[in-house]
Amino acid sequence: MTLPMSLTERLEAYLTRTHGKPANVKSLSRISGGASRETYKFDAEIGGEAKGYILRRDPPGSLIETDRRLEFLAIQSFAGKGVAAPEALALEEDGAELERPFFIMGRIDGGMPGSPFAADPYGEHGGAIGEQFFSIMGRIAGEPVQGLPILAAADIPAAEDCWKQQLDYWAGVIDEDEQHPQPIVRAAIRRLRRSPPPPAAKIAVVHGDYRSGNFLQDGAGKIIAILDWEMAHLGDPLEDLGWAADPLWSLPGSRTISGTVSLEEGIAIWERASGLSVDPKAFAWWRLFASVKAQAIWTSSAKEWRDGGFKEPILAFSGWYTARRQDQILADRLAHLEAL
Amino acid sequence: MTPTLPDIMTGVAVTLSTPLPPEASGDYMVGRAGMLTMLAMLAAQEAERGTAARVWENAAIRALAAKAAPAYDGALGGVLAKAAGEIDTDFTWSGLDAANAALRRLLIALHERVEAARDNDLDREIIGLYGEMAHARRLELAGG
Repeated sequence: MTLPMSLTERLEAYLTRTHGKPANVKSLSRISGGASRETYKFDAEIGGEAKGYILRRDPPGSLIETDRRLEFLAIQSFAGKGVAAPEALALEEDGAELERPFFIMGRIDGGMPGSPFAADPYGEHGGAIGEQFFSIMGRIAGEPVQGLPILAAADIPAAEDCWKQQLDYWAGVIDEDEQHPQPIVRAAIRRLRRSPPPPAAKIAVVHGDYRSGNFLQDGAGKIIAILDWEMAHLGDPLEDLGWAADPLWSLPGSRTISGTVSLEEGIAIWERASGLSVDPKAFAWWRLFASVKAQAIWTSSAKEWRDGGFKEPILAFSGWYTARRQDQILADRLAHLEAL
Repeated sequence: MTPTLPDIMTGVAVTLSTPLPPEASGDYMVGRAGMLTMLAMLAAQEAERGTAARVWENAAIRALAAKAAPAYDGALGGVLAKAAGEIDTDFTWSGLDAANAALRRLLIALHERVEAARDNDLDREIIGLYGEMAHARRLELAGG
């Protein structure tokens, strides 16, 4: 009887084949790295040269229907452009030796993510982290999209269609995955449709999940990598700003964005870095949209958790705690907009 | 639907009894244990408040239906009046959730009509109710 190959052995077989040299994989270890892909860190010695890597592999079922090619190309799009991102090394959409689609990135050591649910995730370095957080987001927003690798997999939307494409998509996710009626997010969706934002000031790469918890920082006030590009697309750059500012990523009652800087300071930093201005009406729309998109993701989490046999506790947390908190945020936002 | 308390406890049991492959025995297992701890602490809050929140929400939507029914003729008015006269009789989680699903669907239909009619007073009242509903079902993280 032949024993099935371990993941380490499969990786060695893949790296040996693609590099044409013997590969020795060591210390393969799964890490918590987002709910939509299995994430592993490992070391590999290939032809005598040792390096650290990250493997992102599709799970049997996936929380968010994301395109791994888009994620890979989005990371490639910002290599050497002042946006700290891992090095995108290999993409296998048919799964090759690992059975399921995957890609491999260079590993950036010496960093840690800050939890959006921690009281003071960056301590005395909050101001410095906030400056970089909004400034890197601004650089992504200000980067001209012409010639970027992501264009090989992403369509350029018309400036006036950005909002509708995103809203239709995420409202559709709720239609498909909802297992109990959700009047609060439904009211928010109708509100967004009644009052569309102005056309995007420019078309930019939208990271799609740019927030506290999705970057690595060195513990001394420096951001060393922006992670989790799995929802990247082209669209209105205010989408990322609205997402980052969602109150879910800060403790209730906090006056800063995730323990960094105030929203007003963050917007000013973003404007300087991007060369763009924030239209308050458009920003209010994208902030409400951010909560709708988030609630769509949490709705999918709950469904995925049930359909997957209650196995991944992160899906339970997302579909339960975050969904309940998001309803509070949506209800507050609706009341605030209603009072204007 | 956000997971029910029975779902959560089932999930905790399934997770604890599912062996992990060797490559998931380090950081990932530590993170998973932390997540299970957090779920258990949130489950304690839900055990305390969950039933009361469902009973209250069902009653609140019925009270709103009673108030709105006279202003809406036709099918919606009839459904509102009927819902206003009902009470919860099945106090299991699944029984309360089944009644709640029907009432929430009615609330969505009512809010759509209220918006179309530009009934600003009732619109404000419904949005206020949303805030109360979300608060009643809140879950709180330690330190949050």
